[in-house]
Amino acid sequence: MTQSDHRDPALDPDLIAYADGALEPERMAEVEARLAHDPAAREAVAQWRHFDNLINTAARAGDAQPTNLRIAALERELATRLQRRRMRAALFGPGLRRLAASVVIFAAGWGAHSVYETQTKRVAGTYPGFIQPTLSGHYAYLHSAHQRAEFSGDRMPEALDWLSEQMQMRIESPKLERLGYEVQSARLVMAGGQPLAVFYYRNADGEQVTVSMTPRHEAPPVQGLRMADFEGERVAYWSSGPLHYAVVARTSAAGLTSLAAAVED
Amino acid sequence: MSLKSELHSHVASLRRYALVLTRDPVAADDLVQETLVKAIAKADTFQPGTDLRPWLFRILHNTHISDLRRARTRADAAPDLPEPIARDCQHTQLELKQVLGALDQLPEAQRMPIILVALREMSYAEAARTLDVPLGTFMSRLGRGREALRGIVRGVKRGELSLLKRKEGGE
Repeated sequence: MTQSDHRDPALDPDLIAYADGALEPERMAEVEARLAHDPAAREAVAQWRHFDNLINTAARAGDAQPTNLRIAALERELATRLQRRRMRAALFGPGLRRLAASVVIFAAGWGAHSVYETQTKRVAGTYPGFIQPTLSGHYAYLHSAHQRAEFSGDRMPEALDWLSEQMQMRIESPKLERLGYEVQSARLVMAGGQPLAVFYYRNADGEQVTVSMTPRHEAPPVQGLRMADFEGERVAYWSSGPLHYAVVARTSAAGLTSLAAAVED
Repeated sequence: MSLKSELHSHVASLRRYALVLTRDPVAADDLVQETLVKAIAKADTFQPGTDLRPWLFRILHNTHISDLRRARTRADAAPDLPEPIARDCQHTQLELKQVLGALDQLPEAQRMPIILVALREMSYAEAARTLDVPLGTFMSRLGRGREALRGIVRGVKRGELSLLKRKEGGE
């Protein structure tokens, strides 16, 4: 037996891993061969395992503890926050393009968009071509009846304060300026009894973008970033924290995803 | 596994870990609550795609270390540890008490690796990340801690034996 066969057990990672069953099979055989000739190491391993079992038994007593309601509530809250964190990461992270590719059917019944979608589809192919824009103008007129206030682009700080007050939560400006868009106006409309903050943007090429935000309240969040096409426009929609968001633009999925990411930033 | 069920499983693990750390069910739940409150506040720093368990355990570990009040609670509340062993197994209960008592005498740097490994819920690497130490340091503390634990328990047993002999000699 050599001197190295009697290493200090405390400094032998193989022995420690063997005691915990964390050693690869071939190394395990080596350790077992050594233990056969080293009673001190054998005793150390046996006692480590025994103490480990006792501590594990004491820890398992925690499973018999009654449910702690405060812990359960905090656990739910943390799950919500982490879910939100995951969604943000999906919006800003490398998975962005992949997510944008998963186009889904835009669910009807959410906000004023559903009105336009349903009504314009109903007339498509039934009447002469000029009827559809006429009806769109009519629906826009009906929609304007639900408008509560409008602010020009140069009054955005005032608009954001007022919108935040009306929606009883802080509303931040969509940051589309970094993408070359300039805010034209902001308004508050009522859709399905809920306030909807709407921002209108335009870039130097005349391309228009509409962004909306509405409180989610108890409604379930939209999972991930979703997209749908209708009437030549493309809409992206998602939930983040207490708000539902939507962005409408005539652009590619990647372009719309960039717009959504800028709104969220 | 959904995020909710994953989190639920981790919270159960946190309660086990906290129970051995504090040796008091009430203090353990306080520690877990404090951990979850901090985790909620730090949720934006969590990196999606990374393992949630070491992140939560690290918060609990740091909370425990920085909370001196909890250390006092542990010392005061040692007799309140629930009895997980069958009541008729008095020898095992005595051993459990000895081992947990010895565990309390170890420095935190050695105590925590021993408990984390005894939970059998994470690899050495995960446990090392939880304690924010390199793997080599973790293994060294685990080995030294286990040997120190043996030494303390052996000393306690010798003390009991000599006490018994003295009693027998006196009778």
